[in-house]
Amino acid sequence: MPRYAMVIDTRKCTGCQSCTVACRVHNKLPVDMIYNPVTTHGPVGKFPHVRMTHIPSLCMHCDVSPCVDACPTGASQQREDGIVWVEAEKCVGCKACVMACPYGARVSNHEEGTVQKCNFCKDDRVDQGKLPWCVQTCHQKARVFGDIEDENSEVFKLVNGSKNVGRLLEELGTEPFVYYLY
Amino acid sequence: MSTKIDLEQEGVEVRKSVCYFCHQNCGCLVYVKDGKIIHFEGDLDYPTNSGGLCCRGNVNLIHLDHEARVNFPLKRKGERGAGEWERITWEQAIDEIGAKLEEIREKHGAEAVATAGGTSRTDDWARRRFMNLYGSPNGFHNSHLCWIPTFMIETAIYGWSPFEIDLGLSKCIVLWGQNPAISTLPEQAGISALKKNGLKVIVIDPRFTETAAKADLWIPVKPGTDLALALAWINTIIYEGLADYEFVYEHCVGFDELTEHIEQYTPEWAEPITGVSADLIREGARMYATSKPGNIQWGVAIDQIGKPAGAAMHARAILRAITGNLDCPGADLLTGPSQEFITDEEMELNDMLPEEQRKKQLGSDKYKLVTWPGYGRIAEITKKYWGKAPTAEWMCEAHPPSVYNAILTGDPYPVKALLVSATNPINSYGESKKVLAALEAVDFLVTCDYWLTPTAMLSDYVLPMAGSFERPTITSTYGCSDFLMCSQRAIQPMYERKTDFEFWRDLGIRLGQKEYWPWETLEDAYFDRIKDLGYGVENYDEFVEYFRFHFPEREYYKYKERGGFATPSGKVEIYSSVLEELGYPPLPSYIPPAENPIDHPELAKEYPLVLTTGAGIMPFHHSEHFNIKELRFLRHEPHMEINPETAEEYGIKDGDWVWIETKRGRIKQKAHVTEGIAPGVVFTERGWWYPERDLRAPELGGCLESNTNVLTSTADEHCDPISGTWANRGLLCKVYKADGSDGKEAN
Amino acid sequence: MSAKHETWGWMLAVDFFFAGMGAAMLLFAGIAELFGGSNLSTVGILAGAVFVAIGACLLILELGRPFQALRVFMNPKAILTFGAWNMSFAIVAGLLLGTSYMEIFPWFGIVGLQKVLAVICVICGLVVATYPGVLLGRHKGRPFWTGSGMPVLFLTSSLLTGLAAYIVCGWFTEVAPVVTDLFPYLAAGLCLFQLVIWVSYIWIKSSGGSVHAVEAVRRWTKGNYATGFQAGFMFVGTVVPLILFLIPNATAVGIGGLLAILGGLIMRNLVVYSGQDRTWLPGEKEYRSRLPQGHEAFLQKVWTKQI
Ligand SMILES: Nc1nc2c(c(=O)[nH]1)N[C@H]1C(S)=C(S)[C@@H](COP(=O)(O)OP(=O)(O)OC[C@H]3O[C@@H](n4cnc5c(=O)[nH]c(N)nc54)[C@H](O)[C@@H]3O)O[C@H]1N2
Ligand SMILES: Nc1nc2c(c(=O)[nH]1)N[C@H]1C(S)=C(S)[C@@H](COP(=O)(O)OP(=O)(O)OC[C@H]3O[C@@H](n4cnc5c(=O)[nH]c(N)nc54)[C@H](O)[C@@H]3O)O[C@H]1N2
Ligand code: SF4
Ligand code: SF4
Ligand code: SF4
Ligand code: SF4
Ligand code: SF4
Ligand SMILES: [Mo]
Repeated sequence: MPRYAMVIDTRKCTGCQSCTVACRVHNKLPVDMIYNPVTTHGPVGKFPHVRMTHIPSLCMHCDVSPCVDACPTGASQQREDGIVWVEAEKCVGCKACVMACPYGARVSNHEEGTVQKCNFCKDDRVDQGKLPWCVQTCHQKARVFGDIEDENSEVFKLVNGSKNVGRLLEELGTEPFVYYLY
Repeated sequence: MSTKIDLEQEGVEVRKSVCYFCHQNCGCLVYVKDGKIIHFEGDLDYPTNSGGLCCRGNVNLIHLDHEARVNFPLKRKGERGAGEWERITWEQAIDEIGAKLEEIREKHGAEAVATAGGTSRTDDWARRRFMNLYGSPNGFHNSHLCWIPTFMIETAIYGWSPFEIDLGLSKCIVLWGQNPAISTLPEQAGISALKKNGLKVIVIDPRFTETAAKADLWIPVKPGTDLALALAWINTIIYEGLADYEFVYEHCVGFDELTEHIEQYTPEWAEPITGVSADLIREGARMYATSKPGNIQWGVAIDQIGKPAGAAMHARAILRAITGNLDCPGADLLTGPSQEFITDEEMELNDMLPEEQRKKQLGSDKYKLVTWPGYGRIAEITKKYWGKAPTAEWMCEAHPPSVYNAILTGDPYPVKALLVSATNPINSYGESKKVLAALEAVDFLVTCDYWLTPTAMLSDYVLPMAGSFERPTITSTYGCSDFLMCSQRAIQPMYERKTDFEFWRDLGIRLGQKEYWPWETLEDAYFDRIKDLGYGVENYDEFVEYFRFHFPEREYYKYKERGGFATPSGKVEIYSSVLEELGYPPLPSYIPPAENPIDHPELAKEYPLVLTTGAGIMPFHHSEHFNIKELRFLRHEPHMEINPETAEEYGIKDGDWVWIETKRGRIKQKAHVTEGIAPGVVFTERGWWYPERDLRAPELGGCLESNTNVLTSTADEHCDPISGTWANRGLLCKVYKADGSDGKEAN
Repeated sequence: MSAKHETWGWMLAVDFFFAGMGAAMLLFAGIAELFGGSNLSTVGILAGAVFVAIGACLLILELGRPFQALRVFMNPKAILTFGAWNMSFAIVAGLLLGTSYMEIFPWFGIVGLQKVLAVICVICGLVVATYPGVLLGRHKGRPFWTGSGMPVLFLTSSLLTGLAAYIVCGWFTEVAPVVTDLFPYLAAGLCLFQLVIWVSYIWIKSSGGSVHAVEAVRRWTKGNYATGFQAGFMFVGTVVPLILFLIPNATAVGIGGLLAILGGLIMRNLVVYSGQDRTWLPGEKEYRSRLPQGHEAFLQKVWTKQI
């Protein structure tokens, strides 16, 4: 069984937000829904000695996923391959998961009355052997997707082969499966 | 939410197409069934984008059938700008426009018809072909702002422009006024991939851009002072003995003159002008000169600094020459035009434009380099050497501000008609208020576009254009590269849209040019251009299907085999005989920016801040895509940048609406207070208008309210005397908070 | 996407308020029945059940898809599911217990049944009065909520508003003597306790916690909640009732009860809305603050074909 993960290389990301648009357009999300914001940290420091980092995000597909635990209907689920997803038919829009997620990864669909989130593009892309939209669209190849159980995968090599690797809000114990290179 | 589409189903055809929302032309695979697009994605096998698509690329299908698109030929019914249109047939449109152009040519001469273009977005050789056959020299683009002066200066000095970089082996790249992280995404991907090979990246930019954030060295030059920086770099390289003497003495002329001339321009001299410390200037110069081979990539910032632009380009070209970073592995390559396929220039029929018409080209008396005098001379030289000339559309253009002036004043002669294609001049040309006045004043205005832009709203006819997937595309760097990347039409144009090629062809045929337009379709014309490449294909589509690209074998040191460079002396002309011939200084001397506090202390009292206007921003392309909600959502308001210290001085807080004002007018943008810009410097975003507002005159979609070109200057004394490019960067402005009534949100 | 849509709103806050107050009322009724064999107040008990029911209705209305509300009973591991079951039991048990003191109902006066219902009321009442606090406290990504403080704060407020509700009941209906004799003093004690634990809570959050907590609590001390919290909840909703409860005058005590209830309402709203403060990722706040809010002209614009 694979365990899907994403590695985001902040040294490459330029904050172009193409991944945000790709996700929204191809997943046919309402215009005000964003699964994968790209934030800008900085410039910090004082001119001209400044730094700036862009931080793309998405659902972290946490191993210890508070959103799944919080969901009263069972709509929020985690597949064996680690993909956390929402079964739209079951969701009542209580937002318990929205509140439970520390990463702001869940968004309300005001048209449907449900809550949605990144599902690693499981239906149209990953299960079809294709890359998630946000990964394919990135000119900078700042997002890498793959099976982290597979020692030959790029994600495995990047996570295990670099010193500068970390995860967001690791201290909360959610065991995110999105890694950041910095 | 599943959006699954069965791509394996019967009858689905995969077309190799490209996105054309900027001239990167990222490869796409488009899945078509029964003439309809059911799916598309970035082409993983395309060499430049390898599957990548930027924000705009992803909205191709939204763009394709957006409700606001112009889908049928429109003829104005009411007053100009009233927004009342009658739908007419293409036949009627072409017939009436043709009749009008005939009438104008009879009464006022062919030169009374001008055409305006923008960034390279379509088949401009067809426009030039039409104009040459029609007899007018007054075609123009805002190419002056966009690399063309650079191309021509460099061609004058070493025979072609090294826009093709050989990064693989490079040790250093200088991004001079360029922000590839936002403007040319595939290029940035190449750069960041090579950093682990030790590629050093130097960014010269007043702003701490996305690109600067990843660079080894950021040199925050004061807007418009690049010439001083370049001169000080030359000084450092020569006086620290870092030049490539072998190359210089064997292949260049004028090095000794340069050595003497450059003595005055020390880093210490440049420090107060550029705002960059002498140490940092030296550090950059040393890094470039010693990390060899190295490249200087072309960014358009220098094209846009107005008065000092030509000299700055010259100085930048000299930097390559004295470091020997020309046409060798890992450095800037001089490919020359293609020797194998038919180039854009060869499609233009420039010989058909009579000498006496060439002489009438507006602005060519003052600005000689990118008009017939300079172009003619350079074309002559390159033809002798390469057998071919640079594309005339782009490299040989009427001076846009001079054309708008002629419309407004009738001086030196009246211009009666303006055909606008693939540009929105109100937002992209300099001094928008003047441009707007000219568009209002011109007798006859025709616009070919996708949308009812503010410019289209003022037109007599608006013609519906075919976009990205509705036409085939050849990508070849303004027609100046030696390679070709070819793409297919995915579907026939929807509604009654046509390609620009068809517009010019139809109009040409209406005006009796039938014999010169033998091709029924754009594919036929393209096939003519590539058929002799020897791929054994029957038609253009087949070429794309099986080959798609033509990349000639890379040749280095061409000057060694060909006996020198494509210049009059056969050497790299540091001391430029071509510029001298045209009456310009053969070596670059310092010229301050059009407006600056040192030379204009009085002006600086009222306008104390240094301004640079525009730069590419995501997700927009110049003035495009503001009406696409999916994109606009990410950046729904315009932002100017200002340092916290300066902001505090003027009582401005992050997020405040502020006025930015120059002598020419004022605009409103929101303040982004950031340490990424020097105190005293202001940056404004370009392109802004509000398509959601009333598009009719006088509102015209709020096209002046936040439009940075209201601030820029096209005054003759602010233009570069060599190329005529005007001043977008390096101006003086003031900034103040928008209050009460005018402080309300811009939309 | 304005941040305000991405947090629970006033309906949930009012749900927590009503459910907490009602649940405490049932809890007290159950204790009185179990240990005193007495009926605190028929009206009060029924009101308690109705309050919990109102809370449940608001919870449903807050849902994006209210008609599918029954699905919330599906995940036994989720606190919301647990809460939903307990609210349901509490409502039923409360209604039956209340009506068991009324002659017109067939189950009037069946002592065995009353005891069973009382047990359910005590257990479910305690759960419903506390679980919102537990629910919020488990939100590790919501710095103002996270930790073990919230359950205490919620239980305290529920108990206080429950007592207050009985006191107010006593104004216009028959109540057991303990309500008038003892409850004001209990309520006064709870007010004092509430005062102390809130001061401590704010102090702990602003000194001990993470940077995120410090940022979030600033809203309460200096930011846009400061007035509502300090003047509304702490002063009008806690200190004033504390004093009024100690005045041996029915009107004073009654007003004290109303104010304490008001305080509970204010507190729930402030607390629930402070869920908008997340452990922001670097740059995220700026990012979100620049997104459109939804009213912008370009979003409202409906494009129509030219011709
Ligand atoms: N102050 C300031 N001014 C600048 C710049 C700056 O940095 N600062 N940048 C300059 C530069 S580099 C450039 S290139 C110019 C760009 O100037 P423009 O080219 O005027 O810019 P766009 O807004 O992209 O306008 C292109 C128009 O062509 C339409 N269009 C797109 N494709 C086609 C097509 O195939 N056929 C036809 N007929 N129409 C099409 C689009 O809908 C759009 O309305 O602006 C210049 N102006
Ligand atoms: N997203 C996006 N991409 C685009 C376009 C777009 O509109 N949007 N337009 C396309 C077109 S037509 C072109 S020509 C290219 C242009 O792309 P680039 O060559 O990257 O040009 P710009 O983005 O206009 O400006 C580059 C940088 O110049 C800096 N600059 C401003 N003033 C000065 C100065 O005085 N000196 C120096 N050294 N730097 C200065 C700006 O801060 C900016 O970061 O981008 C293309 N790509
Ligand atoms: S597309 Fe890639 S480079 Fe652009 S913001 Fe997303 S991750 Fe960063
Ligand atoms: S990031 Fe949020 S939504 Fe995604 S698995 Fe983790 S907690 Fe759940
Ligand atoms: S909003 Fe939907 S997915 Fe989220 S917790 Fe509620 S029911 Fe589950
Ligand atoms: S993996 Fe798919 S759903 Fe998730 S953020 Fe990327 S594009 Fe969106
Ligand atoms: S607009 Fe974007 S996707 Fe389209 S060609 Fe340009 S960079 Fe590529
Ligand atoms: Mo351009």
